[in-house]
Amino acid sequence: VPLDFTVSRSLTFGVELELMVLNTRDYNLSRGAPDLLARLAKKKLPGEVKPEITESMIEINSAVNESYDTLTAELRLVRDAIVNEAERLNLAIAGGGAHPFHQWQERRIYPTERFLHVSSLYGYLAKQFTVFGQHIHIGVESGDDAVYLTHGLAPYIPHFIALSASSPFSQGVDTSFETSRLHAVSAFPLSGQMPPVHTWAEFNRYFDEMAGYGIVASMKDFYWDIRPKPEYGTIEIRICDTPLTVERAAQLAAYAQTLAAHLLANRRTEPVEPLYRVYGYNRFQACRFGFEAELVDPYERKSTRLREHLLDTLDRVAVDAQRLGNKAALEVLWRSAQAQENDTRWLRERYAEAKSMPDVVRLQALRWKEGAAQEAAVAGASS
Amino acid sequence: MNFGFLPSLPFTLSYPLLFGVLLVAGMLGGELARIVRIPRIVGYVVVGLGLGPLAGAVGLDSLLVEARIFVDLALGLVLFDLGRRMDLQWMKRDWTIAASGFAESLLAFFAVLATLLAFRFDPVEAGLAAAISMTTSPAVLMLLVHDLQSEGQVTERAMNLVALNGLSASILVTILLSSAHLEAKSQVEVALLHPLYLFLGSLSVGAAMAWLSRTIARKIEKTREVHFALIAGMVVCAVGLSTMLKLPVILSLLAFGLFARNDDRSYDLLNVNLAPVGRLLYIVLFVITGASLPLDSLATGGVVSLALVAARAAGKLTGVLAVAPLGGLRMRQAVGLGAAVLPMSSLALLMLHDIARLFPKFATDFMAIILGGILVMELVGPFAVQWGLRFAGETLPADPAATGRMAARMPSAPSAD
Repeated sequence: VPLDFTVSRSLTFGVELELMVLNTRDYNLSRGAPDLLARLAKKKLPGEVKPEITESMIEINSAVNESYDTLTAELRLVRDAIVNEAERLNLAIAGGGAHPFHQWQERRIYPTERFLHVSSLYGYLAKQFTVFGQHIHIGVESGDDAVYLTHGLAPYIPHFIALSASSPFSQGVDTSFETSRLHAVSAFPLSGQMPPVHTWAEFNRYFDEMAGYGIVASMKDFYWDIRPKPEYGTIEIRICDTPLTVERAAQLAAYAQTLAAHLLANRRTEPVEPLYRVYGYNRFQACRFGFEAELVDPYERKSTRLREHLLDTLDRVAVDAQRLGNKAALEVLWRSAQAQENDTRWLRERYAEAKSMPDVVRLQALRWKEGAAQEAAVAGASS
Repeated sequence: MNFGFLPSLPFTLSYPLLFGVLLVAGMLGGELARIVRIPRIVGYVVVGLGLGPLAGAVGLDSLLVEARIFVDLALGLVLFDLGRRMDLQWMKRDWTIAASGFAESLLAFFAVLATLLAFRFDPVEAGLAAAISMTTSPAVLMLLVHDLQSEGQVTERAMNLVALNGLSASILVTILLSSAHLEAKSQVEVALLHPLYLFLGSLSVGAAMAWLSRTIARKIEKTREVHFALIAGMVVCAVGLSTMLKLPVILSLLAFGLFARNDDRSYDLLNVNLAPVGRLLYIVLFVITGASLPLDSLATGGVVSLALVAARAAGKLTGVLAVAPLGGLRMRQAVGLGAAVLPMSSLALLMLHDIARLFPKFATDFMAIILGGILVMELVGPFAVQWGLRFAGETLPADPAATGRMAARMPSAPSAD
């Protein structure tokens, strides 16, 4: 049975954000998701709020949006509603790609049929998968465009890693990585990237083969960094850590939308194989060093500092950004790259001041609640 | 030949030996209980129930009385931990927590009071007995929460309710002491000043210890190990200080915990887990509690003991169930919460002894009745809590990866989207 690709309006977009549900006693992860979701079910909110693999996580799915401004406004609205309900249950909510000090073995699988199945299949990997990512969906008009963009966006994956990184700590230690979350994803057998197919028909043949072996049952079984999502008519970028603020989440989505627009307007024709020869190396560099990573360009046969590569790209797509209403978003990202500032750096600075992981998470929750607008005030209060 | 280097008979039992014996015996009782699938606490208590008469038979019962130091330390730790679990910020955001706390304590108080008045007891003494009945055993709840790895709204709310009813009961007892003083024909000044001293004194000790802990915490490394030593030390000091100043340990330590948590705007004090040291003291606490419950008290207390226990349970359950829906709890959670606040144990025992020391007449009339009630709840309470937390779905479930390995072979729709 071929996978039907639902047609979407090109360049519409939306995000999914996985969030931490914390207790307010020591800011460890709690198992508050079921109670929180039960309360939220009674509220009328755009998009959806859903359970995730363990009871310490919830996931926001935004509605389909046309612009950066509406997406930001929607995410703020949903954030406020969730924080408000959480406070009634004495819970706190935070962004960030991984909880800094939780012990994965203490997590509890969310008791839905599917999650229990995942847990029995993957054993401890399921609980270790208590990491928090942002997924960005970009609407495309055809399966062929989805395949084209999945390859086309691959060289920019390191940008998204550096800009979203917010998980320097894992299980109570500084990992020295900008993001430790991606290691939890890499452990799964079907993680990685899409094979070098070029059309939707070719992709369908690949999928049929895998399904024939009994390796996959649906697209959900592929844990790729970028994957076509035929049910929604989108491509889904799954590389980002959940940022510490919804504002940054919207900016990342705006960047992805801008890049997609640029790639659709300026079709590239190079073969994709060289790209994937260096893909794993570039990805590692970005995870480990962030803006200071050395990225290899297999076409130009040279390497560039990630920060310069990102700034150049932002300049190159400025016209597209202007057209889509993403100028303000990309300017914020430009300044971040220029100053080499991301959430990982913020977290490390907070830890250097507070010298205690629970304090870092408390400030993380405060930052989520108050948003980027209050950034200066939060930093001032905690120093 | 001089055998002076040999110990002389009869041997004198030393504290370390006593502590060790109680600990090992209690532990064995707990493990035995676990094998027959009942809460460990019941095992500890049963060992104590057996040791009590045994110690009496060989003339060592005075040692058990002296072993109260362990009880005070253990309870100190429990109460501090409980006070720390009480979250005033949360109570401000969700008024139903305080409301259900007061509902269940007051309904238990009046139900017990009415029952005792029906048995024609003296009103002030009946009031004191009813105030004791308001309390829930924090030790039973906390140990079961730890053993069952229970976590969630019911667990958190139960902790706050137990802290609230402990606090309300101590305050009520202090107030009732005035009346008791007057009835005992003490001077009016004493009748007023003594309760005031107890109340303000213990609050001051709690506040001072919290302030001192924070001040020290600011100067030391912010690691779990160091803060653990600090807090454990300060708790022991607070117990000693209260005893020295003739203040109620219960109120002082609750206040200490409460101030440590709720008055720490700069978050100086780490919220360290006291369970490792707690476990040792808890075992000894339950063994000694068991040993200080004479089995014949139930025979003496008889119908009144049972009526007291029934009235108390009815009051608590009604209070919790009436308010829980307003706080958005599901029926299952409300019933679980009601069951979790039922146990009665060492806290009630401590209050009973504190009051009995001051008013021998109260002891004559009520000692056996309340001891009988505690004895019943000491054995029933742990089952109620275990059942309640399981019913509410907050205890640790079986690991799905550990079962059905064959069924797991087929891939299908893992999450991540």
